Amino acid sequence: MAIFKKIHTWLEVRLGIDDIVDKRLTGYLLPRNINAWYSLGSVLLVIFILQMVTGVLLLVYYVPDADKAFKSVSIIMNEVPFGWLIRMCHAVGSNMMVAVLLLHMLSTLFMGSYKSPRELNWLTGFILFNLVLATSLTGYLLPWSQLSFWATTVASNSAGAIPVIGPYLVEFLRGGKLVGPPTLGRFFAVHVTLLPLIIASFVGLHLFLLERIGVSSPPFGQQETKSTWTGDRFRYDRHSNGIPFFPNYLLQDGTSILIYLAIFSAIVFIDPYLFFPTTAFIPADPYKTPAHIKPEWYFLANYQTLKVFPSEVIGLLVQGVAMTFLALLPFIDRGKERHPLKRPVFMGCFVGGILLYFAMMIWGHFS
Amino acid sequence: MRTPLPTSISQLFVLCFALLALSLAIPCAARGETVCLQCHGAQTGRGGIPVKQWRNSIHDENGISCNDCHGGDPTDAVNAMSPARGFLGAPKETAIPAFCGRCHIGIMKDYLQSAHGKALGKGGPTCVTCHHAHDIHKVTLDLINQTNCSRCHTYERAAIIKNAMQQTEANISAIGSTIQNLKEQGVDTDRYEKGLFALRNSYHALFHEVNTAKVQGESGRINQELAKISGQLTQIDNEHRQRRIIGGLVAGLFLIGALFVHLLKKTYDQ
Repeated sequence: MAIFKKIHTWLEVRLGIDDIVDKRLTGYLLPRNINAWYSLGSVLLVIFILQMVTGVLLLVYYVPDADKAFKSVSIIMNEVPFGWLIRMCHAVGSNMMVAVLLLHMLSTLFMGSYKSPRELNWLTGFILFNLVLATSLTGYLLPWSQLSFWATTVASNSAGAIPVIGPYLVEFLRGGKLVGPPTLGRFFAVHVTLLPLIIASFVGLHLFLLERIGVSSPPFGQQETKSTWTGDRFRYDRHSNGIPFFPNYLLQDGTSILIYLAIFSAIVFIDPYLFFPTTAFIPADPYKTPAHIKPEWYFLANYQTLKVFPSEVIGLLVQGVAMTFLALLPFIDRGKERHPLKRPVFMGCFVGGILLYFAMMIWGHFS
Repeated sequence: MRTPLPTSISQLFVLCFALLALSLAIPCAARGETVCLQCHGAQTGRGGIPVKQWRNSIHDENGISCNDCHGGDPTDAVNAMSPARGFLGAPKETAIPAFCGRCHIGIMKDYLQSAHGKALGKGGPTCVTCHHAHDIHKVTLDLINQTNCSRCHTYERAAIIKNAMQQTEANISAIGSTIQNLKEQGVDTDRYEKGLFALRNSYHALFHEVNTAKVQGESGRINQELAKISGQLTQIDNEHRQRRIIGGLVAGLFLIGALFVHLLKKTYDQ
């Protein structure tokens, strides 16, 4: 034990770690009624790190060339030691990241945590959600399979419906009139450099905002902490009677992360093909259109929305309005009440929105 | 100079008729109906029978039409059957293997080397004796049966050949579906597919062989090779099973870890 004491003293003298521990861990108090849903942010942080690590490992063998991409992925899956595990972790992880992000956002909505003074937390989170979707879309093309080629063709085609700039936008995205080798190059560059950098920046900003303003209290459970923020000046939302982040809530984070890892590893090892249709393992063939091209599950609702309206422009417009409304929700919904049962209109929209999203997703799958 | 617009009733009538004719012609062209099919298909007598038989055949399924075998011009009703346009008509009995063999080259070779082929022109069977001329279906072992074979000789030897080949076919089919399953899981099956393709060809070459000893011997060799591929595929399948077991253990360990951390948290909460 003397050795630990020595290390502690050495670090304390140089870094003042007792102060850091006091301010950021043991002395960092959270609302007493905080629940497990608040730990989804930590789960997402773990997923992001896992995606970064597996992505870098895949880069060792992946070749971003239309003639070699599929073969290189096949080599990763079949010849590289544990290559299948790295690839499956990355591919399944991307799907799980979207799913956990959706849960995180829904819990934030349900508990009204997006409300003033946390508008910027919501906005940065919403932007992060869209960035993750963009990362998934760009990563989807990289294996250069029939699925990735045709799903990207359909997805990039949708942008063409935007009046005036649509055709130019499609050409800009694809690097040509059609999806081809330049598209792969562009998507690869954006997927491995630009988007991870932007995402990392926004994660930093999101955490900074969280730390700066303090964690919100859930609107139910023991009402031991109440926000006294009046909007006149900046005020850190401290929870003087709360529980310490370390060890109490860090253990909750640990529980949630371990439960996530259990589900994640079960899918990766037992049925990773849950997210892979047959066309995912056939090399891209621009002259052979598969019978049923469907986007990933998280784009199915968008895909079906484009189909239900008489023109794609209206479909895009409706989605644009819905997304803008969601992004600006904290600026529109200015009421102080956060308890969901005391907000019947909000609850109606919340439940209706989820049901509509799932209905469109299922319809899109079977249409 | 601008063409004057049709003003008289007769000109309008001609225009309407032309449009109607065009609208009727478009669906026909869209279906790719040749003049052979249009003319013979409409016939109720002997001339229409081949079209009816062909419509149920594998040739129709694969887009092989009358002119692909019989030659001629499928776009010109007047000269469709003109020898000047390459029309061959129906082949004589001894010319049938060469007629079919223009596409089925390997099969023709196998047939000509067999006892059936050596009896060509001496009462032996030609391609159409077993496969029919127009009502041609995908070949299965069911083609070797008491009714077909007993037309010329006893069924015993044919039955021995059929038995030997049935096992091979079952093995090929089972390995084919295993390869397909593994392919859908991202396994690089190229090598196994090529091996199976070569063995399937060897197996198909036996279809026209009537030497029972040779069929049995060759079937044995093919089955041995198939067993090797099957063994390799089983190994991959076992690896996947191992992964699932390990996955279950890993997931279980994470859950135990989660329970432990949760209980630890409870102690701090108290």
